[in-house]
Amino acid sequence: MSTEQMQNTNLDDQDMMTPEADIPMERYLTFRSDGTTMGVSTDYVIEILTDQMITEIPMVPDFIKGIINMRGQIVPIIDMRLKMGKFADTTDATCIIVLDIDSSCVGIQVDGVEQVLDIDKSQISPIPVEDQQGLVDGMISLSSQEVLLFLNCQELIRTY
Amino acid sequence: MDNGMDNMLDMYLFETNSLLEQLDELLIEAEKNEEFTTDDVNEIFRAMHTIKGSSAMMEFNSLMTIAHRIEDLFFFVRENGIDSLNSTDKSELFNLTFKSTDVLRGEVEKLENNEPLTTNIDSITSEINSFLNKISGTEEAEAPVQEETPEVKAPGGSESAQKLVESLGSKCPFFLQIFFDEGCGMENLRAFMLVNALHGTELEFEFYPEDVESNGATSEAIIDHGFFVGLHTEEDVTKAIAVVEEQGSIQTYEVIHPEVKKQEEPAKEASAPKATVPVAEPVKGSTQPAGKEATGAQSQHAKQSLLSVNLSKLDALQAIVGEIVITESMVASSPELQGLKLDTFLKNTRQLRKLTDDLQDISMSLRMVSISGTFQKMNRIVRDMKKALNKDVRLTIIGEDTEIDKTIVDSISDPIMHIVRNSMDHGIETTKEERIAAGKDPQGELILSASHTGSEVIISVSDDGQGMDTEKILAKAARNGLLTKPESEYSKKEILSLLMLPGFSTNEEVTEFSGRGVGMDVVKKNVESVGGTISITSELGQGSCTTLKIPLTMAIVDGMEIRVGKTIFTIPISNIRQSIKIARENVLHDAKGNEIVKIMDEFYPIIRLHEFYNIEPEVTQIEDGILIWVEAGDHSYCMFVDELLGERQIVVKPLPSYLNSFNIKDYGISGCTILGDGNISIILEVMNLYNAANV
Repeated sequence: MSTEQMQNTNLDDQDMMTPEADIPMERYLTFRSDGTTMGVSTDYVIEILTDQMITEIPMVPDFIKGIINMRGQIVPIIDMRLKMGKFADTTDATCIIVLDIDSSCVGIQVDGVEQVLDIDKSQISPIPVEDQQGLVDGMISLSSQEVLLFLNCQELIRTY
Repeated sequence: MDNGMDNMLDMYLFETNSLLEQLDELLIEAEKNEEFTTDDVNEIFRAMHTIKGSSAMMEFNSLMTIAHRIEDLFFFVRENGIDSLNSTDKSELFNLTFKSTDVLRGEVEKLENNEPLTTNIDSITSEINSFLNKISGTEEAEAPVQEETPEVKAPGGSESAQKLVESLGSKCPFFLQIFFDEGCGMENLRAFMLVNALHGTELEFEFYPEDVESNGATSEAIIDHGFFVGLHTEEDVTKAIAVVEEQGSIQTYEVIHPEVKKQEEPAKEASAPKATVPVAEPVKGSTQPAGKEATGAQSQHAKQSLLSVNLSKLDALQAIVGEIVITESMVASSPELQGLKLDTFLKNTRQLRKLTDDLQDISMSLRMVSISGTFQKMNRIVRDMKKALNKDVRLTIIGEDTEIDKTIVDSISDPIMHIVRNSMDHGIETTKEERIAAGKDPQGELILSASHTGSEVIISVSDDGQGMDTEKILAKAARNGLLTKPESEYSKKEILSLLMLPGFSTNEEVTEFSGRGVGMDVVKKNVESVGGTISITSELGQGSCTTLKIPLTMAIVDGMEIRVGKTIFTIPISNIRQSIKIARENVLHDAKGNEIVKIMDEFYPIIRLHEFYNIEPEVTQIEDGILIWVEAGDHSYCMFVDELLGERQIVVKPLPSYLNSFNIKDYGISGCTILGDGNISIILEVMNLYNAANV
């Protein structure tokens, strides 16, 4: 499924919402990784891939699953679970979101993609506790039960 | 409209830059020989003329004026022959030309960066003028300066022309009065060429002045009054006009009919459009009787068969071709076709495979450019520094035809320049006496070489200068607080790599050319940004050598596919000596317990890839797998792998930069390639793998 299609299906909902003009809205793709819901700005998202053959690369940290061939382009894949310090696991819905971060492509393997949301940026609050890797740079509550964490893409590819 | 302007500017910049580059090359070459050949002078003249013209069109006045001045200067040189200059004048001419091309380049750079052009260019123009005056003597200097108003001067009116014709005392009823392009030079010879051309048409004709071939002084008469061709009939006139129009450098021509003064026919003919058709644009004129293209136009066409293409289009082409190649093999090997008897299909897919292979080769070669452009620039740098530092150095260039991907050429030009500067400044001894005392040729040598090896281009800059003093480097590093362990523990290699740490500059004094504090660390960064590596070797008193290893992003390499567990690796065939099956008892152990094997009376270590890379193997017994005997540089060893899959031409792709930051290159993983089924194979760098396994 391409991002474009995804955005289109969600567009219909948003048109009805008619957000007020002066509210800084940004569109986020939300996905699941080990029970947490995270969001990444659609500006970064190139496409979503499933069933991709990943070639493992030796001598790299565990969280790098390997590389894939995306239409001739070599894209490294980061396992979000391992990157966040969780256990590796795959499900039927496991897929790869390919992101373009500073014009280099990086894929993240996540448990599943949820939806595209328009989010009022002014509603995003800082995270109460600094997570150890700085991978999350903000949060917003979606409902009484659920919070959405925002992925910091710059931090994701920082290698020190 | 804006877009059109941008395109024009792009074209202009491209054209001007390439002209300036050509010019630089030519100047360097000429200076080496200490002589301008006639061709050189013509070439410079032509280049400056083009720059002048296009700058005027784009309304870049400073560029136009400077180009114009140089054009004047070389006009004079061309007119009078280079031999009219004495050697001091010549060297001054070289310097002046270098200097003015630099000014031009500076202006062009400003255009590229969207900065305003310099308005005050008096210093360079007056310098050129005064030099021109000096070599020509004031009187003569005015002649070229007149050219400042290059508008088409109306050729002598019919009236005066007719008088002239009469004064020739010929009985021909028709005359062609021909004017050559202003400042084209050698008018007499051009006239003679015209005469030759007319002879070829079996026309009967006379011409004045008659002694054009032998008498150079007739040039002036031709400039002032034109060159006359006398003809007998109107028909002949038409034929002659056809010939005249084919000749280059003719500005205007006019038909004069002296006997029928001011009567319809000649008057019509004379003032008819033809009379002032500028022959410089022959193709355009619809009035031309003969349809042949003028020779001048033809040569221009030949030059324009080179075409500049936006790199991003080539990238897109490359990506699509890659896709096609993969899709083609996916179609041909579709599982649905298994077991079917498809003769035509197989025949056609074979043809398709051949075509896609060709397509791939061509699209690949489009991106490859030779490194000579970058190397030639170094000529210039060496020349300038030679003068400024008063060192005698010769630059030897080896392998300038080596081709690399365009993007890489662009990104390594600065690093190479920096290294060359360093060598010139710090490497080569300050004085000849020092060199002689060290028993060396008083002339220093700088060698710039490029060569292909497997998946890399190796570029090295070596000098035979004083070499680097490891003691001094260490002391300096210590002073700058760059050391991370006790001084005594540093190996020579480590000391030399200290040079590439940020904030290290060996020269105590900052000079014009190097040692600005930004040093080798920037070079290293640049080289690494294209996935390359840099290393320095040096012997005190013998010289130093800096080697850049740059991957060929788009190179096609013959590779051997091997399998270890589920991972497929590719080893460049050029590194493979042999593959061997051996029995367990042939494996020996060295003192440390490492496995070694004896091949042809020599012992070689065995590196088990599955152990080295921590891959789950299918075979662990030496007799079940296979040994691949590889060699790179001075190292030779055997890799133990599960299985050989076969030989294949592969397209080398660099690993994503994100992965390179984990230093996997140091473990022998240099790149990857896409296999026929769309999967990826990792390309192994035999040398790095050996180093990593042994350290």
